Amino acid sequence: MIKNSNTMQGADIVSSSNAVAGYVYKKQNDVVYYFQLKRLNDSLLNENARLRNELSALSDIDTFRDVTARIPVTIKDTTTKKDSAGISLTPTGAVKIIKYADFRYIPARVIKNSISNDRMNYITINRGTEDGVKKGMAVVTGNGIVGRVEHVSNHVASVVSVLSDRKVSSKLSDGTSGLITVWNPGTPEYVVTEKIPLHIKVKRGDSLFTTGYSFFPENVLIGTVSKIDTLKTTSTKNLKIRLSTNFRNLQYVYVVDNRMAKEREQLEAQNKQKD
Amino acid sequence: MSIYLRNIIRFIFLVLIQVLLLNKIPLRWWTAPGSLPPYTPFIYPLFLLLLPLSTPVWVMLLSGFALGITVDTFMDTGGMHAATCVLVAFLRTRILTTLLPKRLSEYQNTAPNIKSMGWTPFLTYSVVLLAIHHIVYYITEIWNFQSVGYLLLKVLVSLITSMLFVVLYSLLFSSSINTTYYDK
Repeated sequence: MIKNSNTMQGADIVSSSNAVAGYVYKKQNDVVYYFQLKRLNDSLLNENARLRNELSALSDIDTFRDVTARIPVTIKDTTTKKDSAGISLTPTGAVKIIKYADFRYIPARVIKNSISNDRMNYITINRGTEDGVKKGMAVVTGNGIVGRVEHVSNHVASVVSVLSDRKVSSKLSDGTSGLITVWNPGTPEYVVTEKIPLHIKVKRGDSLFTTGYSFFPENVLIGTVSKIDTLKTTSTKNLKIRLSTNFRNLQYVYVVDNRMAKEREQLEAQNKQKD
Repeated sequence: MSIYLRNIIRFIFLVLIQVLLLNKIPLRWWTAPGSLPPYTPFIYPLFLLLLPLSTPVWVMLLSGFALGITVDTFMDTGGMHAATCVLVAFLRTRILTTLLPKRLSEYQNTAPNIKSMGWTPFLTYSVVLLAIHHIVYYITEIWNFQSVGYLLLKVLVSLITSMLFVVLYSLLFSSSINTTYYDK
């Protein structure tokens, strides 16, 4: 389900996440940024409204309710205390639990975007290792998926977008999971989901979401079904999905730090060793 | 300006035009209306095309690789532009020898441009080399011969727009075009 293959380009240095290319793209983005502020404002406002609606609907339920294990988010207690004699003590450094969450979202600005390549499209973002971005993290927008971090430097990272041969494990809104969605080159608006058994009922306008099997967080919208092809010979259906992410004007994205990822990878690596 | 400095500046300038302007063109939906695939015009091979005629082949190949790898770094294409540019740098000598009347080593301090060659030979020269560049690049990029029509369409659309920008560049940045004004 998760495609862990390396790209054909192995070297980190020949990628737009290196210092020089990152600098040039950042400088350009600083200039161009001002011309996009109006559109950016609108999109952030829409997202804000959506999140507020969601929050009011789920006020006492955790958003990621299907996840069984939770990791505490901790902070160092740095409040100075005074003992009985009035001498102030140094911060204790004791760990205090604030809340539970599995995912942490790191906002990032897109400084380079590409949609015209036919096999691999890379996006460069202005966040790197110093901001907590690591290789293999998922990248999403407010209303859709973007891709996965591939190369990271100190302040820049390059992301393989969904517009590549990377497959995304997905499920339909009625809960049918185990579908695999992949990009079909030629247009940045559509992806395809192939080989769906005939008995699964799909109609136009149904939504497709990510599953927990992939590196993406669960239940992130991928897109809506725009066309259904029934193949009589193999008795399967092919779906054409209209992506909810507009890759033509990506401005802000969120890098998803999955706190469970390391533990999960270790477990899965153990399974592999046994095989 | 010395010929080295001029070419280094042109290198940086063309790479910046390519990376900061032309790579943004496919992002706009109106550049590829209908079912036309998104394409990118490439103007950066013009650096190789405009190097002096007497440049030795090894310098051509090295500068081709340097140019390609720089563009690769910016576009995350990992060596595809480098391979294509080395081929273009290699073939440039062959095409120039067929187009020009004298041997290349006899042209001292002249570069192939509109002034030294004239419009038609220069455009022929750049169309041929850019076509080679585009065909080789898109073949290595798509690497799939099932849809030859798609490949050709992409090469053609990209080549036409590239040539548009090459002509624009030549008009803007050759101060030495023969423009004769007749006084009455």
